[in-house]
Amino acid sequence: MTRPAHPPLRPRLSLGLRFARRPMLATGLCILGAFVLMAVFAPVVAPYDPILQNGDITLLPPSLAHPFGTDNFGRDLLSRVIWGARIDLQIAVIGVVFPFLIGTVAGTVAGFFGGWVDASLMRLIDVVLAFPFLVLMLSIITILGPGLGSFYIAMALVGWVSYARLIRAQILVLKTQDFAVAAQSLGFSRLRIMFRHLLPNALAGSLVFVMSDAVLVLLNGASISYLGLGVQPPLAEWGVMVFEGQGFLNQAWWITLFPGLAIVVLAFGFSLTGDALADLLGVKE
Amino acid sequence: MHRYRFVLFRPLQLVPVLFGISVITFLLVRLIPGDPARILLGTRATPSALANIRTQYGLDEPVWLQYFYFLKNLGAGEMGRSTLYKVDVLKLITTRIEPTLALVGMGVFLALLIAVPFAALSARRQGSLVDHAVRLVSTAGLGFPSFWLGAMLIIFFAVRLEWLPVSGYGETFREKLSHLILPGLTIALSLSAVLTRTLRAAMIAGLASDVATAARARGMPESRVFWRHVVPNALVPTVNLLAVNIGWLIGGTVVVESVFAIAGLGQLMVRGIFTRDYMVVQGVTMTFALATVLINFAADIITVTLDPRIKL
Amino acid sequence: MSAHLEIRNLSVAFRDHAEERLLLDDITLELGRGEFLGLVGESGSGKSLLCRTVIGLLPSRRLHVTQGSVRLDETEILGREDCIRGRRIGMIFQNPTSHLDPVMTIGKQICEGLALHKGLGPAAARTEATQLLRQVGFPDPERSFSAYAHEFSGGMRQRAMIAIALSCDPEILIADEPTTALDVTIQAQILRLLQDLRAARGLSIILITHDLGVVAQTCDRIAVMRQGRIVEHGEKRALLAAPVHPYTQQLIASHPSLSHAGTEPVRHKHDRSPVFEITDLDVTFPQGGGLLMKRRGFRALKAVSLKIWPGETLGVVGESGSGKSTLARTILGLNPASAGRILFEGHDLTATSAQLRRAGLDRLRTGAAMVFQDPFNALNPRLTVGETLAEVLRHRGETPPAEIENRAGELLDMVGLDRAFAPRLPRSLSGGQCQRAGIARALAVNPRVIIADECVAALDVTIQAQIVALFRELTEKTGLTLIFIAHDLAIVRNLCERVVVMHHGEIVEDGPSARVFARPEKPYTAALIAAIPDIDPDRPINGGIPFPSQQEFAT
Repeated sequence: MTRPAHPPLRPRLSLGLRFARRPMLATGLCILGAFVLMAVFAPVVAPYDPILQNGDITLLPPSLAHPFGTDNFGRDLLSRVIWGARIDLQIAVIGVVFPFLIGTVAGTVAGFFGGWVDASLMRLIDVVLAFPFLVLMLSIITILGPGLGSFYIAMALVGWVSYARLIRAQILVLKTQDFAVAAQSLGFSRLRIMFRHLLPNALAGSLVFVMSDAVLVLLNGASISYLGLGVQPPLAEWGVMVFEGQGFLNQAWWITLFPGLAIVVLAFGFSLTGDALADLLGVKE
Repeated sequence: MHRYRFVLFRPLQLVPVLFGISVITFLLVRLIPGDPARILLGTRATPSALANIRTQYGLDEPVWLQYFYFLKNLGAGEMGRSTLYKVDVLKLITTRIEPTLALVGMGVFLALLIAVPFAALSARRQGSLVDHAVRLVSTAGLGFPSFWLGAMLIIFFAVRLEWLPVSGYGETFREKLSHLILPGLTIALSLSAVLTRTLRAAMIAGLASDVATAARARGMPESRVFWRHVVPNALVPTVNLLAVNIGWLIGGTVVVESVFAIAGLGQLMVRGIFTRDYMVVQGVTMTFALATVLINFAADIITVTLDPRIKL
Repeated sequence: MSAHLEIRNLSVAFRDHAEERLLLDDITLELGRGEFLGLVGESGSGKSLLCRTVIGLLPSRRLHVTQGSVRLDETEILGREDCIRGRRIGMIFQNPTSHLDPVMTIGKQICEGLALHKGLGPAAARTEATQLLRQVGFPDPERSFSAYAHEFSGGMRQRAMIAIALSCDPEILIADEPTTALDVTIQAQILRLLQDLRAARGLSIILITHDLGVVAQTCDRIAVMRQGRIVEHGEKRALLAAPVHPYTQQLIASHPSLSHAGTEPVRHKHDRSPVFEITDLDVTFPQGGGLLMKRRGFRALKAVSLKIWPGETLGVVGESGSGKSTLARTILGLNPASAGRILFEGHDLTATSAQLRRAGLDRLRTGAAMVFQDPFNALNPRLTVGETLAEVLRHRGETPPAEIENRAGELLDMVGLDRAFAPRLPRSLSGGQCQRAGIARALAVNPRVIIADECVAALDVTIQAQIVALFRELTEKTGLTLIFIAHDLAIVRNLCERVVVMHHGEIVEDGPSARVFARPEKPYTAALIAAIPDIDPDRPINGGIPFPSQQEFAT
């Protein structure tokens, strides 16, 4: 093979090879993939209707016909857990995306421009952080009324803070690094320095944080639904299902166990992926 | 002692934060659509009571004036009345604060009791089977929903083994303690997952640090290197982590109190939301925010004590 | 006389799954009783690893001793280092800041060793510790006893680390680059302290360093290491006078102090207008302050005036905190000036009118470029070398888009970097290669002035010499004006025709290099020059000039 006269400015990376050597990343992505497939193909995969009640088969323990048992309304828990993936994945994704976008822009601008922009944003962040996360969420939901929509709005209003802080801190450090000073001394525009030189280097950290944040958002969404202020019954959502099992702790443990396990496994997938990404991108928490 | 001078100045720096907290809690009730007087007093309020509250909170005045009325009332220790319990909100909060405080304390205590030994074990035998197990469990532990974990603990320890009570709080100290173990453990298990991971990372970094190398080069035995040089240096990030997580921890008590039917502040808030007892929601929210601010302040003092380099 | 420490055929290998790499290859070395041995080599030569192996602190579990023996007083210690570590062989390190426990007082750290190795009780340990602190040069040992590491300057921290190592009362002291992080004048003091301690306590010392000048002046014997091997060792005068191994010869040739020839006299013509004209420049950084405290300022530059002529190679030297980097950044418009005027080719960069200032900055950006100290930090880690160059070329807009790849290649040729480096990310390059890429980026601007801020400080001596040669070639070929900022006076003497000496934000001396180095006018310049480690073994430390007493002690 002959070498080209001018080598390309960026080599092609064999991503496949890099992933194959990382079992943590592979496991994490497999778990996430499995849940995505489950959510997409819920109508095909789930053996029974998740909402239809059947008085003849209430509170059946796990069996071959109903691997996760049935609840007090005679609904198949396996089917409900599978359908639940739709809502809970949606919670984790939507609950992360908006805070991420808002926080990244706010943090970049604050860190880059400094001065009063930064100072006022930081005071706002201080105030939001003075409230316990869940308490502020509940307060906003009090105003907006219970429901999934309120949850997303509350998430966007509160969740951006951690991203803004993270990105800002990174930008502040990066800004003083020599390559940023070099970009400045070469006369590059502020926008170019901000988005081509600083942000890509700052994003690695927040990408890792996205994964651990997805866990927190998932837990929060499920908690709020458990408290009765998020997703409303009879929809199959794992937090709601745990709540429904609460009345039967001494006779039907399976109603509580399986939806909770679903949360644990999905969260584990996010955490593993996050850890692996941190490793891959060389990010220290 | 000039390093501790910030203890005097910091409260002044907190003024903007306290101002923000008051604005948000003020808006919390005012943003609810409908007649604010009826929102504050509930649907069955008498006309005279409605008129009274309108003058007390200046509800016919412009919003910014209403805010001053709100501050004035707050200054007088007046947080309104609960429509459900028919008592002053401040009084209600003072009677409910103890179980919540006890729960947070129990949670942090148990979490440290779990996290420190496991993190130490894991860090000192990095790469061993024990280390892998600790890492696996603590990573999985990040995703344990507290409402589910609590239910599982109830099924196992209260329903199956009948060792501990299912729910409630109790009267005597012994009763309270036995009622607090399961909910405390619920909080501790979630918290210890985060703590173990951070502590382990800090300890591993410490064991590989120049400080540790220098100590070894002086012939210090490994255990002394670890406990005298690595651990003290790992404490600062741990305290910071606890402070950062305190808000999350308090949020956790809201859920855990609901699971275990403990009559604390969290349960009061959730019930307030359901029964539209808005003065109570407002009061509890503010109490939680103040507690968070105070705890962070305390964490600052601890950090300064632990690390002589830090100046605030 | 038998050797105090005897290393025979020692090999250490890195083992990872299939791979096995030899990091120390058949090392044989002796240290006589009371001897001062210098171990010289560049980064990666294995000099630190050798000493770590001797005290049994291999830095990774994948490292294994594959053969050889280490004998202390004719007793094998390999595998039994626990009994000798600290107690018989002490060690001090390059970076005292990271090696001292930040949350334990200096005194406690000394007492720890006294209690462990000598079994002293608290009171006795305290007395002994104070004694040690006095011996290593703490003027107020009582107070320093209960102080923390961060309360001291770098030099005092290194003294503290020495005191802590001495607390175990070792017979042998291994000093791993103990002065590399310090200013030259402080370096000379620490080296003197090591010599005094050898005399007072009968220590045998191994001094690890990359600087041949340091060993030439302090040691009795020299061992030169390269790629895990001892390439040459012997008595220092014999070795320096007649080096046998080509690498030793190269190392001696690369040492900047050797070419006393200096550079030819100033050749620029003053009839042209200066590139930079700096008048009474003041830079003040806000410091401390806050809500209720008064804001104080730190004056980094005090009324600096300087003219830089086209085609000149100007060296700016000074110790850390002298303001030399601030000067560079300020004239490049990266720091606001607090007072004074900076003219770049006649354009006022400090003009009050924003429009004029803008115009001046625009001209500056197309006419001046900077090269930075830390080669890895100076390049955007997410862009390849080629992308970095292409970005600058595109931004300058002088190269047609189709030509950009070719031009990037030409720039790499100019800095002596193979074109195959274009698609590589900075982290896959060595320090020297990175620095070349950084210089290529500066050249991409097609500048009339290059400002190089400590750009060789992080590099090995031989690489340093290469980069300096590259700069010399560039300035000679292209008539570039070079402002070369460095703490290393020897390099400046080699490269620059004119030198400016800075101290505490002021210019103390300014003149042709040949004159300044031969006949310094100011005592500070003289002290600075005296402290340069010289490769001449007959020149005493600090040129034999006595040290000013403990002026660097900080509270």
